[in-house]
Amino acid sequence: MATRSRRPGAKAALLPVLLTGALALAACSGGGSSSAPASGGGGGAGSKTLVIDTSFDLKTADPGRTYEPTGLIVGKAAYETLLTFEGSDVTKPVPALAESFELSKDGKTLTLKLRKDATFADGSPVTADDVVFSLNRVRDMKGTPSFLLDGVEVAKTDDTTITLTSAKANAALPYILPNPALGILNSKVAKEHGATADPNDKAEQYLNSASAGSGPYTIESFNVSSQVVLRANAKYWGQAKPAYDKVVIRNVEAATQKLNISRGDSQVALNLSGDQVAGITGDLQVTRTASANVIFLLANRDPSVSKVTSDPKFAEAVRKGVDYAGLLELAGEGSVQAPGVIPSMLLGALPPEAAAGRDVEGAKAALKESGLVNPTVKLEYPSELTVNGLSFQPLAERIQANLKEVGITVDLVPAPVTTALDNYRNGKEELGLWYWGPDYPDPSDYLSFLPGKLVGLRAGWKAGADKELEAAGDKAAAETGEDARKQAYTDIQTKLNASGPFIPLIQPGQNIVTASSVTGLKFNPVWTVDVAGLGVK
Amino acid sequence: MKLPRAWRQPLAITGGVIALAWFVIALSAPLLAPHDPLAQELPRLAPPGPGHWFGTDQLGRDILSRVMYGARLSIPLTLLLVAMSVLVGGLLGAISGYFGKWVDETIMRFADLVFAFPTVILAMVVAAALGASLANAVLAVLVVAWPAYARVTRGLVLGVRQREFVLSGRLLGFSAWRSLRVDVLPNVTGPILVLATLDIGTALLLLSGLSFLGLGAKPPSPEWGAMVASGVEVFDSWWVAAFPGLAILTVVLAFNFLGDTLRDALDPRTARAIKERAL
Repeated sequence: MATRSRRPGAKAALLPVLLTGALALAACSGGGSSSAPASGGGGGAGSKTLVIDTSFDLKTADPGRTYEPTGLIVGKAAYETLLTFEGSDVTKPVPALAESFELSKDGKTLTLKLRKDATFADGSPVTADDVVFSLNRVRDMKGTPSFLLDGVEVAKTDDTTITLTSAKANAALPYILPNPALGILNSKVAKEHGATADPNDKAEQYLNSASAGSGPYTIESFNVSSQVVLRANAKYWGQAKPAYDKVVIRNVEAATQKLNISRGDSQVALNLSGDQVAGITGDLQVTRTASANVIFLLANRDPSVSKVTSDPKFAEAVRKGVDYAGLLELAGEGSVQAPGVIPSMLLGALPPEAAAGRDVEGAKAALKESGLVNPTVKLEYPSELTVNGLSFQPLAERIQANLKEVGITVDLVPAPVTTALDNYRNGKEELGLWYWGPDYPDPSDYLSFLPGKLVGLRAGWKAGADKELEAAGDKAAAETGEDARKQAYTDIQTKLNASGPFIPLIQPGQNIVTASSVTGLKFNPVWTVDVAGLGVK
Repeated sequence: MKLPRAWRQPLAITGGVIALAWFVIALSAPLLAPHDPLAQELPRLAPPGPGHWFGTDQLGRDILSRVMYGARLSIPLTLLLVAMSVLVGGLLGAISGYFGKWVDETIMRFADLVFAFPTVILAMVVAAALGASLANAVLAVLVVAWPAYARVTRGLVLGVRQREFVLSGRLLGFSAWRSLRVDVLPNVTGPILVLATLDIGTALLLLSGLSFLGLGAKPPSPEWGAMVASGVEVFDSWWVAAFPGLAILTVVLAFNFLGDTLRDALDPRTARAIKERAL
């Protein structure tokens, strides 16, 4: 008698096995997805199509509402600003649509002379009225970037002169103006499509389908989740004409970005981690630069949140207990240690030699002085967040191991970003691992770390907690001279490192991989990559 | 002593050997593991080779040692989870089947309610609501796993409760509890044991899946699902995800083979078929 081949239950029994396989496959696939570009992909420099792969952080193409990294790349290509930065140097704003600018001695008035030869993509000239309309629109629409121009009055003095007046000294303004969010719109076109320069402004829909700027590229199509296609502006007024006829910016996960660029499906990959670029071979070019993001630890100063971390000696023990070199090893090439909260490329950054070093004995001594015996603290961090391809998870685990040697037990409390942000923003984290990217490349943005200010409060550091430091902050904000500002901000950071609740850790590297055919790549901390600056070999 | 015929099948032997090996590893991991599973002392992302046979992860930890220690977490928790599911589901199913009427209706409709949700999604919701930890992940899986046992047990109890020996017990004045315990349960345990053994794989997979999604084990504990998740971030270093993945695969496979064998052994029809084939 023949036996039955399989029992009915056998299929069900196999299901978990298949699911295991799926789990393993999921791990190996990296979860990436890549959609082919509309043009058919693979368009190398020869066909004058450039394909850029990046993990999208994109909400809109309306410059007045843009504040996300991918949006700034698009904005920089399609719109121009009054001032700009050359290449990677964000310490010196240079004229763009303006031909010159001057900040008054009291730092309250910025006067800009407008170029006469600049034109929009439709051929009409860029006028002072367009400038006033565009900047007022950003400020009054109350979109994400409107804070950049808070309290700034924009006025047209004559057809080629614009004045920006602030109530208080605002030496940061020339560093704020290059932000692509402050790109100048063709006001006539924008108004025709619903732009009213107030919260009821309805031009976003139009600006998500076409562009109304004077930049070297125009927006051909825009999809917030898959790809943005830029077309060269045939009537571009500037000297440097766009090198590519078409630029496709695609939403691709980091692991897939690496595959795509390795097999020639794309020419630029923006989000590879240090570990991922380590395996890059062939004739691809890898640009490794420190990003402007500073990853830091905060030890909450509020005794009601933690009796342990509120002791300044605890923060000292952590500062001395962390193995910075070990963290840099995790972050990969291109990363640098952050000596202070202000990143290395900004005015007022501390020199690398001012960075903290590991001193386990010193850390133990500081802990002993605090009177804390084998303290246990919770370290909260966003579990799925990556900064420049670097995940917070291994960093937190390394810090945990480092502090264990000092005698501090760290319980890791990873949470999804939205959950973790709640505790962080409400100043409820005992020990937190976060990062800060500059809103604009000026040290005044980092006054937020002082007591009673945005980030200070997140560390339970209330106003009045360190009056000397707060006074130094007020003085720095009022300074206008470059040297005086530089000195003021380095002094603030030195004091912040000595007594503050923040422990600056590292600036992860920004690794950009380009095909050998692509030239002119420069990482810029504000807009990551200037598409118009990319050329063909 | 000779093994029963069903246990002499190749799949049964394979399953038994693999499961036994994992039990040995779990029990003696501190003796067998070449490194401290938490020590970040080796070169980062080193491929498998002498000194670290399964390679190392992003933090320079030995993956072999972590996989071994992972067995001390994953296997006992899975067994505990299945045991709890059998206990909760079995008890509710027995009560439901034995007492019938509104008790049956209430328990079974509640089981239907749980069945109506996709298992993984419901487990994720429960785990997320309770907070990420291994204990909560076990609870979450328990919430979704018990109805299967309740339904099977109820069906079996329904079939047994009208049998003469149960009725005679009742007529002799046995309490419901004694009747269930003495007359009914011994007659329904076999199929439930088979289901439980087959379910060990599914439970391990679900538990690892929750850790994979960040809803289970907390770092730096060497839980297999969490290890697979960390491997996703280092796409090129295949060994980081592959070895814990293989560990899950082998345990799931072993318990499926064992479950199949147990079924063969306990089901008279398949037992007869095996006997005939053997002859």
